[in-house]
Amino acid sequence: MTMDRLILFAILLLVAAALSGAWLPRLWLGLTLAGTAAFLGAALWTLGGSAEWDWRSGFELGSERVHLRLDAISAWFLALVAVVGGAGAVYAREYWPDGERPESAGRGRGWWSVLVLFMGLVLLCANGLHFLMAWEAFALSAYFLITLERERPQTRAAGWLYLAASHAGTLGLFAFFSLLAARTGSWELGPMRDHPELAPLFWVALFGFGVKAGMFPLHIWLPSAHANAPSHVSAIMSGVAIKMGLYGLVRFSGWLPVPAGAGWVVLTLGAASAVLGAAFALAQNDLKRLLAYCSVENMGVILIGLGVGLLGAANGNTAWGRVAMAGAMLHVWNHGLFKSLLFFGAGSVLHATGTREMSRMGGLWRSMPWTAGLFAFGSVAISALPPLNGFVSEWLVYLGLFDAAASHAQVAVVIVPATIALGVTGALALAAFVKAAAVVFLGAGRTQTTAHAHECGWWMRVPMLGLAAACTFIALAPVVVWPFIQQPLAAWNPAWRGGQPPAPLATLGGVQAALAFLVAAAAVALWLRARANGLRRAVTWDCGYAAPTARMQYTGGSFSALAVGWFAWVLQPQRRLRWPRGPFPRRADHVERIPETVLERVIGPLNDAVMAASAWVRQRQQGHLPDYILYLVAGLAAIGALVIFDNM
Amino acid sequence: MSSILEFLARLAVWLLLAPLLPGIINRVKAWVAGRRGPPVLQLYYDLARLWRKGVVLSTLASPGFIAGPAVAWVAVLAAALLLPLGPLGTSLSFRGDVILLVYLLALARFCTAWAALETGSAFEGMGAAREVSYAVLAEAAVITAVLTLSMQSGSLVLSDMLVPAAGTGAALLAVGLFTVLLAENCRVPFDDPNTHLELTMIHEVMVLDHSGPPFAAVLHGASMKLLLFSVLLVQAMVPVGKLPESAAVAALIVGVLVVTVAVGLVESLTARAAFRRVPLLLTTAFLFCVFALLVAWKGGTA
Repeated sequence: MTMDRLILFAILLLVAAALSGAWLPRLWLGLTLAGTAAFLGAALWTLGGSAEWDWRSGFELGSERVHLRLDAISAWFLALVAVVGGAGAVYAREYWPDGERPESAGRGRGWWSVLVLFMGLVLLCANGLHFLMAWEAFALSAYFLITLERERPQTRAAGWLYLAASHAGTLGLFAFFSLLAARTGSWELGPMRDHPELAPLFWVALFGFGVKAGMFPLHIWLPSAHANAPSHVSAIMSGVAIKMGLYGLVRFSGWLPVPAGAGWVVLTLGAASAVLGAAFALAQNDLKRLLAYCSVENMGVILIGLGVGLLGAANGNTAWGRVAMAGAMLHVWNHGLFKSLLFFGAGSVLHATGTREMSRMGGLWRSMPWTAGLFAFGSVAISALPPLNGFVSEWLVYLGLFDAAASHAQVAVVIVPATIALGVTGALALAAFVKAAAVVFLGAGRTQTTAHAHECGWWMRVPMLGLAAACTFIALAPVVVWPFIQQPLAAWNPAWRGGQPPAPLATLGGVQAALAFLVAAAAVALWLRARANGLRRAVTWDCGYAAPTARMQYTGGSFSALAVGWFAWVLQPQRRLRWPRGPFPRRADHVERIPETVLERVIGPLNDAVMAASAWVRQRQQGHLPDYILYLVAGLAAIGALVIFDNM
Repeated sequence: MSSILEFLARLAVWLLLAPLLPGIINRVKAWVAGRRGPPVLQLYYDLARLWRKGVVLSTLASPGFIAGPAVAWVAVLAAALLLPLGPLGTSLSFRGDVILLVYLLALARFCTAWAALETGSAFEGMGAAREVSYAVLAEAAVITAVLTLSMQSGSLVLSDMLVPAAGTGAALLAVGLFTVLLAENCRVPFDDPNTHLELTMIHEVMVLDHSGPPFAAVLHGASMKLLLFSVLLVQAMVPVGKLPESAAVAALIVGVLVVTVAVGLVESLTARAAFRRVPLLLTTAFLFCVFALLVAWKGGTA
């Protein structure tokens, strides 16, 4: 009863928010926060162990009865939708205000509520037809949010690419749900593990949901969409919306039987996404593109966990599958939290400097200490370093991988490379985030744009602080979160119901807390000692340069040049170098660009070929009667030939 | 009570004995070159002096410039405390502690690179870039080595993983780990700890602007890291855990000394490799670890 009311309230509040968004910003904020709070309450209630909520109405939509259900898997993702949806709404109040964006601020508020509402409904719908409707509405509202700043051509191009890729994925989902409905005779969704004939549908779902999840090589739309969207939209897209694709994979690999090779394929794709996503991230010089590629990497980490979980489930429900799956689920939350935090931080930088180009920044910590500190916090968390939360989930995934390898089972053939890939990913992500945080916030300002930078206000700071607090909580008390993780695990695979944490989470939490304390204490102690001995400020030594300038600093491009060289086979960097010549050189420059390889080297040429073929076909249609007669005769002759060959 | 004493003993080993290693290495180098060389305890004198000195901060540096070395030092010490010291055992042991150890070293790397980039110096930028890039290859080798150890022991607890040791692939693993030790501890042929001022350095160039107590933390942390890798290497090769207590202590000490002397000899007898050779060397170390892994894998099923 309470659940009915909570969900109904959430839906009504968000609908009201969507309607009021354009004109009444304060009311909108209140309604959106109340709606997301209701969603969060419902999700935590379910995760707290209450029974699955199942609600059928007499109301019909598309001649199908509306059927909503909220089980632990849906609730896990719904909690993330609610948290980031609420935080982004607060952030947008200062980041995208009416005063600066009179044309798009109201639209942005309305679509934001629509996006949150329909992501919630995707998670709630238990009917294939309604799932598709909610999915489409969610995809479209995301499109309108990405293109809020539609006067910029890059934004329109990014939105167009997103729309095209998203619909290619939706096409896969149409195939998936209609095949499912055709084989089961009903659009109703639910556990169908005892229908082995449904297993091959997993491959269709993997494509459809994989596009949304930004899985390599289906991630082509993700970098430009996340980079060009307003930052609060990038945050919810990167932190939450791509998780909807993952939700689909988790949901239907739990409800439907999966084919034998599913775990192998998911694990391989995950490892590829992780390593290549991190390599692409390291190579970027656009702050938000770097963060976007890093999402591909983190989805890879989650897919590695899911892949090990699938392998574990297929090999007799082993404990190692359970622990890796737990790591994947926890990483869904973790990545949602710290990626949103980082995009909010990037938005704050963009707001202050007006550019996303890292080589124009530098030294921003002085004018933006809060943003710098919070971005550094997020960087440590996302690089999976102890004592923060990213480490907890990656540690669980590692435990699963190592146990699987030590079991000497046949799966070790794929587990061992995946483990090494995860290690390499960690080192690459660390390099990428040292680069991002240091080039933006440390050193000296590289251009004039940084001179006028200003710190963001409290409306932007508070959501970031809240997300950082949530990260800290998971980092220091993972054992408190464990009962929540257990619910979706049990819903995914009933054989993994109940029981103790598969890993010494309490010990790890204690170690993390002790480490956090020691780190803080050591930093303070060293600072006090240094101050007691006498602190003196002097120009950076730089091997004796008397007057170093900001232009002598290492740039982001030079920082990553070494590793980019190793990955040149996939990154395909385009360089143009004009050397200074003669005694009075006129100009010399060095331009480097990292293309989106899959898009520009595979999809692009393919697209060109299709366009060329279409253009050729169009030329054959000039309205000349004799041509058409010739086509008719040729067509008839071809059909005749077919018939004759068929009879032979 | 005795557990507290044991903890203090372990802490003392890591904190007090670690600065001995660079002294021994320098002694070996001096002996090979026919010089008298600095005293074995030179690093202790340096640390004591630095701890009392004032600090010169770059005008660009944020508080992170001093926090960086502090965090890195704590991270290395915490990693060291997770590593069992032969019969002295370990302070804390749990499933997956080995992954925490690897990631604590990564945290130290993050903080060192962060502090290096605080100053806006191109030299330190170069050093930090090389450090984080080469770490990608070193990390692959380390993870493979950990996989090897966990496969041959069937455990994910450091104190169990290091007991059986001396698997068939021990020699292969030792070569791989020794190379990683040289790379991670800024030793020839990857780096030359004698010169701080060259364009060609990795780790050493990152600490150019540090001075006073923070620099002492950097130097002490580096010596602990060297001891950590030596102890890990010895225990991965020699079945220290199976020996009687006194023999185990002796084996550990002798082993660490042998590793230290070997580092000194490598440093005396080889030149620093050209930079384009470094990835090749690290890849070779990775391959050695992979072969050790294959041996451990086969050993398990046979």
